[in-house]
Amino acid sequence: MNRPQPAGVDSSLGRLYDCRVIHDQLAWYVAGPVLGLCVVACRALFNGRLGVTGGFSELIVKLRGGSARFDWRGWFVIGVALGGTLFLLLAGEPVFHGYGWLTATFDGPWGDAAIAAILTLAGVAIGFGTKTAGGCTSGNGLSGVSLISPAALVATATFFATAIVVAFAIEAVIA
Amino acid sequence: MSARSWSALAVGVVFGLTLCWSGMSDPEVIRGALLLEQSYLYLFFASAVLTAAVGQALLRRLRARALLAEEEIVVSRQRPERRHLVGGFVFGLGWGVANVCPGPIATQLGEGIPWALFTLAGVVVGILLFFRGGAAETEPGSDAAPGSPPARPQPPARIREEPSGAG
Repeated sequence: MNRPQPAGVDSSLGRLYDCRVIHDQLAWYVAGPVLGLCVVACRALFNGRLGVTGGFSELIVKLRGGSARFDWRGWFVIGVALGGTLFLLLAGEPVFHGYGWLTATFDGPWGDAAIAAILTLAGVAIGFGTKTAGGCTSGNGLSGVSLISPAALVATATFFATAIVVAFAIEAVIA
Repeated sequence: MSARSWSALAVGVVFGLTLCWSGMSDPEVIRGALLLEQSYLYLFFASAVLTAAVGQALLRRLRARALLAEEEIVVSRQRPERRHLVGGFVFGLGWGVANVCPGPIATQLGEGIPWALFTLAGVVVGILLFFRGGAAETEPGSDAAPGSPPARPQPPARIREEPSGAG
């Protein structure tokens, strides 16, 4: 009885191509344990501590030495990136809503250049800081804290507290 | 590629997919969490830590050997040093500004998000800066060989011959 709707080009196209497997954010009580099991897997397989920064530094050190014979850490981080690609295929679009506060604050002709510079500098702090602390959110935060390693607890408390303060400071300045 | 490489790749894919699916590779989600507007990240993080803690405690209780490494499962717990405080602070600055940590940078690259090229470039420079001072790797591939100075000779007993069927 339903007539085909003439204005339904978009929606019918949407239906046609809507073969997305992933629609919504995974519940935390599923996502968290899956991430935890990845830590357990690295321990069970390699007696290693899961850490993304360790993977990045493995890639950098090996590639600088002209070798691509990465150890498990290097392949792990390559896998993390491929996990992003798999998500893109399953969800149909990346989970990324841009840099809201950066794009709103730095508009104008040089806006993108300013954002690129800020992100690069922030990246330097992330790379240098995580190597100095011996881990990032995964290496110290997840793996280290799950072992109740005192060093990881100190590092994790410090970077969480710092990031929260920085986020509030930015909010205060741009508001 | 060895079995080790393939399995590390597989664990990485699961990890990366979950980071995306949970929204953690979206800077806006991280920002909302850091501004304490959303509890997701903290519940997610706590449940991940709890799962990892229980699983690793079980492995050690079972005195398991690593499946793909010739060593018994041990974990290293380090005493806090100044570098953990300093490094955590510097990382926190970057995380608070860019709202990405290294995992999401990797997944964003896999998702083809151009901004990730800049954070990645920064991370590479930051890691190179760290190693430029001749610093030792702070995240070794195995906890059986913690980043000890090479001055100490490696005991040859590291290559153990296990009688088949033992243990």
